[in-house]
Amino acid sequence: MGNRVAIVGIGQTFHKSNRKDVTLQEMVGEAVRAALLDAQMKTQDVEAVFTANMETFENIFLPDAMMADETAAFMKPGLKVATGGTAGASVVEEGFHFVASGLFDTALVIGFEKQDCGDTTAAITGAVTPVWGKGVATGAIGEFAKQALTYMQKTGAKEEHAAMVRLKADKGACRNPYAHLRLGLKSIKEVLDSGYLVWPLKFLEFCPQSSGACALIFASEQKARKITRKPVWIADLVTVHQEPFRAGSFGDPTGKEEYSQDIAVDRLYKRNGITNPIRDICMAEIYEPSNWEEMSHYEHYHFCPRNEGWKMVEKGMTEMEGEFPVNPSGGVIATNPIGATPTIRVAEAALQVRGDAGEHQVTRDVHTAMATALGGPNWTVATLLRRSL
Amino acid sequence: MTTEKAEKKPELIKVDIARPRTYKWSSGKYLGRVYKEALENKKLVANRCPKCKELIWQPAAVCGRCNVEAGEDWVVMSDKGTVVQYTYLVFPLWDPHYGDRLANPYPTATIKLDDDGVFLVHFLEERDPEKLKNVKRVQAVWKEEGRGRGLGDILYFRTIDE
Repeated sequence: MGNRVAIVGIGQTFHKSNRKDVTLQEMVGEAVRAALLDAQMKTQDVEAVFTANMETFENIFLPDAMMADETAAFMKPGLKVATGGTAGASVVEEGFHFVASGLFDTALVIGFEKQDCGDTTAAITGAVTPVWGKGVATGAIGEFAKQALTYMQKTGAKEEHAAMVRLKADKGACRNPYAHLRLGLKSIKEVLDSGYLVWPLKFLEFCPQSSGACALIFASEQKARKITRKPVWIADLVTVHQEPFRAGSFGDPTGKEEYSQDIAVDRLYKRNGITNPIRDICMAEIYEPSNWEEMSHYEHYHFCPRNEGWKMVEKGMTEMEGEFPVNPSGGVIATNPIGATPTIRVAEAALQVRGDAGEHQVTRDVHTAMATALGGPNWTVATLLRRSL
Repeated sequence: MTTEKAEKKPELIKVDIARPRTYKWSSGKYLGRVYKEALENKKLVANRCPKCKELIWQPAAVCGRCNVEAGEDWVVMSDKGTVVQYTYLVFPLWDPHYGDRLANPYPTATIKLDDDGVFLVHFLEERDPEKLKNVKRVQAVWKEEGRGRGLGDILYFRTIDE
């Protein structure tokens, strides 16, 4: 490992379907200002700027160049990263590497997406070569629908369990002023009765299309100690790529494949002496595009034995007050500005470590937290944060 | 963190930009064979990895899992298969590649083809949600018109009694 790197500034926009009141660069600027304010830094204190989004969503090839004024990037070094759904976590990794290498002492890292510009599902479908045609003509959602069905059949989970996950997410979102969907759901019946979107996923069981941005400021150890009394250390970070499965889908109907989630957390846990994840890690912010996916991820991340993710839900273990809180912010199912989504996972986990999450601060003391990202095709980025190293 | 500014109802102008673009993609030697066989013979073909002996689908010059040149061991695959997983969309969607309107609702499935067991994702003919639950064995129905779209030359997979 290189030099120690800390998160010293955290900022995000309010997330909404439509931000017709601002341009893309103005929207991103809101998150940047919030992060600078949080760190009590000025634009000139930032040495390099790294950005991430899904570039076909806004149909702009060089948004980083266009946003230079708002992102404090004018005449500074930086890069833009585009790794699909994981972009917002890959940019965290990018900033981390540059500061850890000693090349920069401070870096501004931004994930953003303004989905009110275009047609997201069409853009995602265009992610594959047209020469291959039909493959993902359902966008991402058709894939997650099939996975939900597989999960139901394989584990015996009921629709009620998924509805409980959705209810938990909404409870968190209602306490998080930045969350997009804050519905005030009262019962699982409301989820169950919300009608099918893509069978067996219901209307309330898939993430929204949000517009928003999230910015983080990273600093080297020496700088971090001067900037803040509450640095959040990036203890480790693992990326695993899994190019398309044989079936060309997110799930694995072949039963022959290894999941990038399993490999990523195995490496992360081994390198950091984590033997019992829900004991050694205090909470997690995970990338769950659907409530069904959340239960499946509990298993892949070894929070529970295989096929028992729904039992964690039944016992309420992952509630805000639970033994191992997951997504107290409301998660992706409440807020999904795609390029910013994984950055928000890291930001929210960092807020929990700092104890600054406000109304959605979990009951358990958080000295260690994990943030994950999921992207197509089957990429996982897992980030481990600690209060002290 | 930011605070929400009081909305003063500024004049918000939304600019609609329709920017049609045309692309020309190359199929290359291996996918080209898929397109040609589908167009001329209504057949699905794949090449076999010389090392792991698995069919490579989509056909390619290398087997990434074995790190070897895949070569030219071409196999005609069965156009019958078994539905492994399916879903159906309840909202309308456009085919982004050719601009076709996809009927609503339309079911898609992951289908395991017979013999060598390649998995592919395609549409199902059956549209009745109740009947879909029992769809197991299916066979490809080839388009007669508008072919030359590779896998898209198959209209959908039809339920068969077996």
